[in-house]
Amino acid sequence: MITALEVRSLTKWYGSTRAVDGVSFAIEPGEVFGYLGPNGSGKTTTIRCLMGLLRPTGGDCRILGETIRHGLATQHPEIGYLPGDFRIWPNLRAERALSILARLGNDGEKVSVRRKELAERLGLDLDRPVGDLSKGNRQKVGVAFAFQHRPRVLILDEPTIGLDPLVRQTVLDLIREAAGDGAAVLLSSHDLAEVAAVCGRAAIIRKGRLAELAPISSIVQQGRRRLKVWLAAGTQVPALPGDLKPVARIVGTETAVMEIAYQGAADPLLKWLARFPVERIATPETSLEEAFMQYYSNDEGDKA
Amino acid sequence: MTRCRPPFPWLLLRFWFMRILPVWSLIALLMFLMQLAVCGIVHDNQGVKTLLGLIEVLPSIVKTALGGDGLQAGNLPGLIAIGHNHPFVLSLFLIFAVGVPTVLLPAEVQRGTMELILSRWATKTQIYICAALMTTAGMASLAMVVFLGTVTGTNIYDFGEPIPLYSFFQLAVNGGLCAAAFGAVALLSAASFRRTGTAVSVAVAFIVANYFAAILSMWWPRIRWLRSLTLFNYTNGRKIFGMHEWPVSDMLVLGAIILVVALAGGLIWRRRDLPL
Repeated sequence: MITALEVRSLTKWYGSTRAVDGVSFAIEPGEVFGYLGPNGSGKTTTIRCLMGLLRPTGGDCRILGETIRHGLATQHPEIGYLPGDFRIWPNLRAERALSILARLGNDGEKVSVRRKELAERLGLDLDRPVGDLSKGNRQKVGVAFAFQHRPRVLILDEPTIGLDPLVRQTVLDLIREAAGDGAAVLLSSHDLAEVAAVCGRAAIIRKGRLAELAPISSIVQQGRRRLKVWLAAGTQVPALPGDLKPVARIVGTETAVMEIAYQGAADPLLKWLARFPVERIATPETSLEEAFMQYYSNDEGDKA
Repeated sequence: MTRCRPPFPWLLLRFWFMRILPVWSLIALLMFLMQLAVCGIVHDNQGVKTLLGLIEVLPSIVKTALGGDGLQAGNLPGLIAIGHNHPFVLSLFLIFAVGVPTVLLPAEVQRGTMELILSRWATKTQIYICAALMTTAGMASLAMVVFLGTVTGTNIYDFGEPIPLYSFFQLAVNGGLCAAAFGAVALLSAASFRRTGTAVSVAVAFIVANYFAAILSMWWPRIRWLRSLTLFNYTNGRKIFGMHEWPVSDMLVLGAIILVVALAGGLIWRRRDLPL
């Protein structure tokens, strides 16, 4: 089976600024892959290199087994692309604008039924000029643009931005359905809940380099774990001893209650807690957001 | 699955044509009416006298811009040609030459729609060729509209003597090539600069500098050499009307300029990263 999408040692410099440095990952057919990172980390540059819109300084990208060459629209009829800042001719009706773009991909009118179906699911009026649509509805036009020709590879940059929760759910359903039909999906997003909901694996990019590439569950496990400790009434919340400070941090305190985030084994922390009158201990589930915060923050978790 | 080379995006060409058509039609209509107006004035002796009297009052450089020594009562072709090189007509050419490639390339990039077009099955080169065709064909066809206006004007009004329409046709073809060459320069500018404003400024500066260099070189004999540096040097009405021959060498030079400049624009457009 051909790997649907492959990025190999991708490097891109803008003058003296390094945007992407040696990024590599691959996505198989039917897989939804999260691509995460803070603003300016290189996500959009990677995506534009994948689309052949930018010329990589080094490395290469392959889609459906074919090397992407700058400006040559390699495999583009097989790609559904939603840019991060979707803008379309404002004076055209949504139907006309989408029809033009579909026919540019040689898809002709055969996609019109699918377009209408998508519009119905998204609650989008295709007969209105795009310029008259709200921001959220324009984003729906973008979603319809990406999905209307049933592509084998979907490259989605912030697909749910500006959408209400119901439509957001519909878009996530569309992504799942596309993957179910065998499409490979690259999902770049800041919405971590959305990534956790649909992606099996994710890459985290930071300052142009891959900081992590693993299954979502594994990324979560690598995050700081938490302990919530209820001390006996009247007990003062103690300060962490010096030897625990490199691996643990008190992240919240109430009267006789403290929440501790830690990395590594819980053993030293539990031995320290044993000195106090502990009534109860709970282990709150580490959220994906917390895990990502480590990679995002400058002073912690820099694995690059 | 490996796809073959994308087919030429006729749809994009048609889409852009329909977008440009209203502006092209308006400019063409104004140019056409201008020719009718000039023919209407020139066919009447009293009108000619009034026109020449008016031109005599104007500064000599303006007279040069309108046709120079060719503006004489007995020289009907020279008088009719006022409609071809009148600053109003040239300004309309300028608007089209600069506006079209700018609207089709950098403005489409700035609007964000170029990213969508490029995400479909069309190469950068194909997109550039569409813009180049729209610009150069648009400019050349406007020159033919000017000729059509002259033909219509000379059929509506009686001049009392035969008008050398074939020479006007030769002038229109030669002028059309010159106009297309200016369009190609504007296209090169549009393909080269990140900002729409810069692309427009450079193209306008080139065209205006060419125009004034051509006028000044005709008006002031000491800088006559300056004309040979302008594109207008390759459109010589006097030569066409005097010798009644096709200005083959001038047309070849203009054709070569169009080709080289358009190719340079295409290479730059193809190679550079667009500021999407």
